[in-house]
Amino acid sequence: MIGGLFIYNHKGEVLISRVYRDDIGRNAVDAFRVNVIHARQQVRSPVTNIARTSFFHVKRSNIWLAAVTKQNVNAAMVFEFLYKMCDVMTAYFGKISEENIKNNFVLIYELLDEILDFGYPQNSETGALKTFITQQGIKSQTKEEQSQITSQVTGQIGWRREGIKYRRNELFLDVLESVNLLMSPQGSQVLSAHVSGRVVMKSYLSGMPECKFGMNDKIVIDKQGKGTADETSKSSGKQSIAIDDCTFHQCVRLSKFDSERSISFIPPDGEYELMRYRTTKDIILPFRVIPLVREVGRTKLEVKVVIKSNFKPSLLAQKIEVRIPTPLNTSGVQVICMKGKAKYKASENAIVWKIKRMAGMKESQISAEIELLPTNDKKKWARPPISMNFEVPFAPSGLKVRYLKVFEPKLNYSDHDVIKWVRYIGRSGIYETRCTCTPLYEILLCWDQAASSMDSPVLGSGCILLYEILLCWDQAASFMDSPVLGSGCILLYEILLEVPPKPTAPRFSV
Amino acid sequence: MPYLGSEETVKELKRALSNPNVQSDRLRYRNVILRVIRFMTQGLDMAPLFMEMVKASATVDIVQKKLVYLFMCSYATLKPDLALLAINTLLKDCADPNPMVRGLALRNMCNLRMPGISEYIQQPILSGLRDKASYVRRAAVLGCAKMQNLQPDAEIDGAVVNELYGLLRDQDPVVMVNCLRALEEILKKEGGVVINKPIAHHLLNRMKDLDVWGQSEVLTFLLRYRPRCHSELFDILNLLDNFLGSSHSGVVAATTRLFLSLGAALPAVQSGALERARGPLLAACTAQSRELRFVALCHVQQVLRSLPGHFGAHYKKFFCSYSEPNYIKFRKMEILVELVNDENVGTVLEELRGYCTDVSPELAQAAIFAIGRIGQTYSEKCLSILTGLLELKQEQITSAVVQTFRDLVWLCPQCSESVCASIAGCEEHIQDSEGKQALVWLLGVHGEQIPGAPYVLEEFIDALKTEQSPAVKLELLTATVRLFLSRPAETQDMLGRLLTFCIEEECDMSVRDRALFCYRLLQCGVEEAHRVLGGPKSDPSLGVIAGRPEEPINSWAGDFNTLAPVYSREDWAALTATTGGSPSLIPQATAGAAQADPGSAEEAEAASSAAAAAAAPSPPGPGEELCLLSGPPLSPELFERHWLALEPSRRVSLGWPGGDCLPETLQAALQLVNIQALALSRPHARPWKAYLYAHSLGTVVLAELLRDTDAGGLQVTVKQDPEREEALSSFLTVLKTVMQTLGNSSSSLSSHV
Repeated sequence: MIGGLFIYNHKGEVLISRVYRDDIGRNAVDAFRVNVIHARQQVRSPVTNIARTSFFHVKRSNIWLAAVTKQNVNAAMVFEFLYKMCDVMTAYFGKISEENIKNNFVLIYELLDEILDFGYPQNSETGALKTFITQQGIKSQTKEEQSQITSQVTGQIGWRREGIKYRRNELFLDVLESVNLLMSPQGSQVLSAHVSGRVVMKSYLSGMPECKFGMNDKIVIDKQGKGTADETSKSSGKQSIAIDDCTFHQCVRLSKFDSERSISFIPPDGEYELMRYRTTKDIILPFRVIPLVREVGRTKLEVKVVIKSNFKPSLLAQKIEVRIPTPLNTSGVQVICMKGKAKYKASENAIVWKIKRMAGMKESQISAEIELLPTNDKKKWARPPISMNFEVPFAPSGLKVRYLKVFEPKLNYSDHDVIKWVRYIGRSGIYETRCTCTPLYEILLCWDQAASSMDSPVLGSGCILLYEILLCWDQAASFMDSPVLGSGCILLYEILLEVPPKPTAPRFSV
Repeated sequence: MPYLGSEETVKELKRALSNPNVQSDRLRYRNVILRVIRFMTQGLDMAPLFMEMVKASATVDIVQKKLVYLFMCSYATLKPDLALLAINTLLKDCADPNPMVRGLALRNMCNLRMPGISEYIQQPILSGLRDKASYVRRAAVLGCAKMQNLQPDAEIDGAVVNELYGLLRDQDPVVMVNCLRALEEILKKEGGVVINKPIAHHLLNRMKDLDVWGQSEVLTFLLRYRPRCHSELFDILNLLDNFLGSSHSGVVAATTRLFLSLGAALPAVQSGALERARGPLLAACTAQSRELRFVALCHVQQVLRSLPGHFGAHYKKFFCSYSEPNYIKFRKMEILVELVNDENVGTVLEELRGYCTDVSPELAQAAIFAIGRIGQTYSEKCLSILTGLLELKQEQITSAVVQTFRDLVWLCPQCSESVCASIAGCEEHIQDSEGKQALVWLLGVHGEQIPGAPYVLEEFIDALKTEQSPAVKLELLTATVRLFLSRPAETQDMLGRLLTFCIEEECDMSVRDRALFCYRLLQCGVEEAHRVLGGPKSDPSLGVIAGRPEEPINSWAGDFNTLAPVYSREDWAALTATTGGSPSLIPQATAGAAQADPGSAEEAEAASSAAAAAAAPSPPGPGEELCLLSGPPLSPELFERHWLALEPSRRVSLGWPGGDCLPETLQAALQLVNIQALALSRPHARPWKAYLYAHSLGTVVLAELLRDTDAGGLQVTVKQDPEREEALSSFLTVLKTVMQTLGNSSSSLSSHV
């Protein structure tokens, strides 16, 4: 149970404080401020123990939310509750900011009153809460509305009230995914990659409709494939995806999912999250980042970053932003990029390269020369990874919505009358490529130099060819028609990675 | 600002509130009240306005009502006499036809914390319990708990308790959960709400109707229930299996905890539950929100205490991402160290090396220490990484590396050569006292292998006047005397200077005492000094004992999904100290029940067959039969003390059971015959060691198994306290049988393959 809930701004001023239980004294508010918000060092842990009282905090932009308790509660639940609280507040007044909280503090008190009673969570569904929150309502309710409250609160289905009517029955389905990637500096090895996705549904349906949702889940497709011919299962096998784990909104009948793996439910009204899932296999990585960093002397750094889009040429990625970190002692940066706009932001210690749009199967390059101030500080630069943001109009996990059927036996509209909209959005989560000076890079540089300095044009162009191949060795390997050439590429690449070349003298005997 | 000039504001607000013009205009009236609440939140004392605010509660406007109630709940304790005036309005609202008004009034009336309120709220609560709107019932049920809370000494009202038990069958799920919560608080002194069979089954059936908060709380209440028979237990497990896949990590954790508790006597159930929970737990470790990630990592650490290999295949999930806060990175590094095995050691070390150059010095140090811990098993790889780090010539890194070296050399003597070769030149980059101590220790103990050792120490001695830390001086004294013993010619002069300085000019008593001690020791003669200071240079066996033994799952199952795994041990101790041994929700797991740690089915089978074989060939006479008992567990410290104090009773050589006999199998097999394994080396370590003990016929038998080379057999050294011949010989018989059977089963397994 939660003894109290406080909201602070970044300075530690109390915006909201609500105490639910007597064991939380008034000084608890100050204790958290002094010990955590005003503490000198970084936050040690999201759970802080001050004078035998536990403070759980969550930070949203520069607002601190803290739940306080003296009991031995389970931590995961308290955090989930704080997130839920944030979600509810966002649903009511948008972004959680100091301004918004100050403007809506009465509403927040009202919410806190309904959501928690005596420290126990009572009712946290945004839809159901709407009945009780009376921010606007001055008029006293009519008989009809009163009975509605009663029926809703006593009804079997807590997440949907009865008697909803829409003139147009509409359904919006958003598949929102975020791709998380950590690439090794070699640019070839995926250290970890996973997609965490959400299926968010906005339903404007009349009555108590029964919905059935289908996607290209491997287990389902395989099951069906067995029934029909082998061929179909083979062809569909490619399109199906393996979901590592998935979780559903309360409304989905879990027993049916376990037995038949079918997802059927009575949807809440309005917007809600139908399911959350995670995949780790066969992820389409929409972008590949190939960083090349070279230290030229002590005061200069050459950076070259190639990004390649890896999806259908007809699709367009948007809001692409590559963030190339620069050392702390950078004095000046010169950037050349073929596409988009790049700027060095001294305050953030990074070169920010923005591209509005980029089609699939394209590549783009940026090169920068970073001038460094000579320092006697021996501290090495930590080389933060190159991070990337983007938005693509497909699901990187490969998830496809196969159908969404709506049945409402009592009212006279059928599945065909419902207007359905499906949208896929893939966003970058933590999409990072580590960068260090790698042997491969040294080789590339050697070739680069070799190509320009070679007298013989044949040898020179040979070097350039190899250089190009190495840049896209993986594609080259897969696109080469001849398997011999393809495997040759891979072999070459592996050999080069194994044997570090001498950086001084390029040794070629082609 | 807010604390100053509040009188003016209060006066102005008071005027506005009592102005009839304002009162007649609803919107203006509400705005004034809004301002009052706003000032209240900012910390101004608005108590003088209580009278006016109470008047404002008599309105039909629900928003205004809520605001006034909020005000009253905050100040009622300060103005109890005035608060009584508001009660009439509240009582009237409790009979309002609108269920929302009724619920609101009831809830807030119960929230007024002041003496004497209970006589007013008793009646409304009782009628609220029977209200037809569940919204009111929810408030009324919790109202019972609040009432009890107001007068903790009052006698428990049996009628209310019965009513609440009856309301567990209420059709509204929140009312049901609230009943549990209320009963728990009311009956706190009697041990909380009673979960008997009908109630437990009712709760289980209602689980799917509950919201996530309710689910996780009901799962916690169900910990109290002990199923009568196995079939009932498995029914419960099957029924709850779905909840392991819930989207809410709190529910998943609560379910896991319940499974662990239900399976306290069934190791297979426990390991199955952890197996099922692995996916969700890993998912939580990569969750979007960092706080949840942190909590999940804490629980992963807890699971690893018993099942070190449980997450082995997923070690990449615990690689740190750049943007993560330090508290997550620390946890992840600790986990990575636990997960190291022969296959992934290269990748993990490579990853940890990346963290060593992190901007945050604490993190970098932690990473280096982590590499050092891995180095206790895989010393060569780690040494090359650590030596590489020295080349960066940075203060904190060098200091941490030298400290790691010191610990490594102590535990793995084979490292000393390469360590000694690499520490030359480090002294220039070490500034902190911890690092200096480690370096000085290394120079003193391994001085004969480091050519420049006397000169480095000389530099320290020359800089003695500016040295702040007494700990460094103490270490310097010992190290110099040690070095003097091994390289007298080069050290004699500086030792003299050091002793003179420390005895005559040093202010710190402990340093002076140590110097005097060294001086007198040297006076006794070199032989004597050698005997005192020239102790062992390393103690590899410490590594085996210090290596944490695998704890039984039951030792932490009760703490799963509480605050215990999230806090450090000290914090946790502080927290539990006040609550007076926190009211644990589950009864203590019966000691010795199911201590066996089940591995794969194959291993378990091998183990049980070994145990069966050990039991079978026992001599016919029941009197002579050895009964090894699962007596009180020995702590590693106690074991060590016994071991060092006792003389070996017998040394025997046994055959090694088979090439690929895993320690887990061995441990499981031994546990089945009540021999406890205190510590075991990793599978392919040489020399391989294991420390065992058993209780029998009133004596404690301690044994060490040692295996030097792959070809050689097993050397067994047995010690006993007190001596008893028959217990000793039968212990050996049991041990032999186990080993033979394991050998048979593993060879038959390999012949299968």
